[in-house]
Amino acid sequence: MPLPAPETAEGTLDRSIGELEKSFEGAAQAAELVERSICIGDAHVRLRFAGGALAEQLGRAFDHLAHEKSDEPDLTIHVWDSADSGTPPPPLPSLARGSPRGTTVYTADEGRHFACRPALQQLSAYERAAGRAWFWSGNAHELPFWEPAAPFRQILHWWLPDRGALLLHGAAVGRKGGGVLIVGAGGSGKSTCALSCLTSELLYAGDDYVGVQLEPEPSVLSLFCSGKLEPDHAELLPHLPSPSFAGDGALEEKSVFYVAERFPERMCRGFPLRAIVAPRVQGAEPQLTERGPAQVLAALAPSTLLQLVPARQEALSAMAGLLGDIPAFGLDVGGPTDLIPPAIERLLDELPS
Amino acid sequence: MNSPQVISETVGGETIIVNLASGHYFSLQATAVEVWNGLERGDAAESIVLELEHRYEANDGEIEAAVKKLIEDFAGAELIVEDANGNGAGSGGLPPQDAGERVPFIAPSFATFTDMQDIILLDPVHEVDTQGWPHASTGT
Repeated sequence: MPLPAPETAEGTLDRSIGELEKSFEGAAQAAELVERSICIGDAHVRLRFAGGALAEQLGRAFDHLAHEKSDEPDLTIHVWDSADSGTPPPPLPSLARGSPRGTTVYTADEGRHFACRPALQQLSAYERAAGRAWFWSGNAHELPFWEPAAPFRQILHWWLPDRGALLLHGAAVGRKGGGVLIVGAGGSGKSTCALSCLTSELLYAGDDYVGVQLEPEPSVLSLFCSGKLEPDHAELLPHLPSPSFAGDGALEEKSVFYVAERFPERMCRGFPLRAIVAPRVQGAEPQLTERGPAQVLAALAPSTLLQLVPARQEALSAMAGLLGDIPAFGLDVGGPTDLIPPAIERLLDELPS
Repeated sequence: MNSPQVISETVGGETIIVNLASGHYFSLQATAVEVWNGLERGDAAESIVLELEHRYEANDGEIEAAVKKLIEDFAGAELIVEDANGNGAGSGGLPPQDAGERVPFIAPSFATFTDMQDIILLDPVHEVDTQGWPHASTGT
């Protein structure tokens, strides 16, 4: 149900964009401006942080995508917080009384999106025509554990479709010539599958969210070099480094690992997509079975669409189209984790390249 | 259809429906897919029944009762709503095509999945008009 318009509401998103520009510039003047360039697929993305601590915290997940680029970026993301910069927050929408803390207030016009979680003090915005985006938080050091592990997901969800790609909830591992997308809701074994492959020759492109370029051939685009696991699942993978964030399982807290720091040679920026795999935590050893595309769509689409805004028919149709082109499999992963990488490698060996 | 909060896709002969408001999603197979596709086209329930009776062998009234029940279940899950004129299913529909030899009818049904509903309960989305986005007070 739409919220009533706040009393201060007037004008259009032109003014809102101007206010974000002003808020960021104030923060960048107050704190040290740090710029980093990364490549997502063949796109140049510039990250502009107001403060070195912020760059360290929210830039870490992109370390494997770092690139020296001097050309004009395809997307520039402005990142600041009020705690580090000592600047006031940009105008934020208010929540109706009794709203859950995670409530997102969203608005958009042609080519511009704004999403804010007022209670969590987070705001994301994107302006397609200028290739610009903004991410503000009240205190970046108090962001929930999943934000530094996969920063700017909302912005990437808006921007990737403008480049013929989708942000998908899934892990991806493979070889330079092709790999698999691993899909499923939380607890399905995605992360365990992906992180278990770090002991093999398989490359790692992400464990929770990846981009998938749809044309000219479906390809995985790595976004984040992080990995997240339930603390007790992490014990099954002793090769993992000490977690950067040691979740204790309370409030669904997971442990966060930065794979690029321990296994830089295993990180990759992407690969052609050869198969989609939906794991299940069952069975004594990995068992691959062919799955109908609708079954795998059910494993992929709701968990992707329900976590980002807006969720639209076009995104579901694009996912269905992907499943029409790419073979889908189920994979039982209830047994020893060291048997998972060989099962995925065998699948890749058998698939046409 | 209860759009835009309900989205759906048919792939490999099965339909996946997502209710973005409740977080529930649904899997339809066989005759349930045919009924859903008919509703998406705006076909009237009577037209969908005629189409299925042309294609499937069943006892008198069996298909009509099954379609009526399925449409009620869709409405109960808020996948379809009455249109602005108070109509449920649409009023249109193609004339039944010659489907060749009829095959035994299997009553339509669908599976409901609720494992994602916590996302909607904990992290709901309120869409507002652009006029509803706040601005700094003049002079700040």
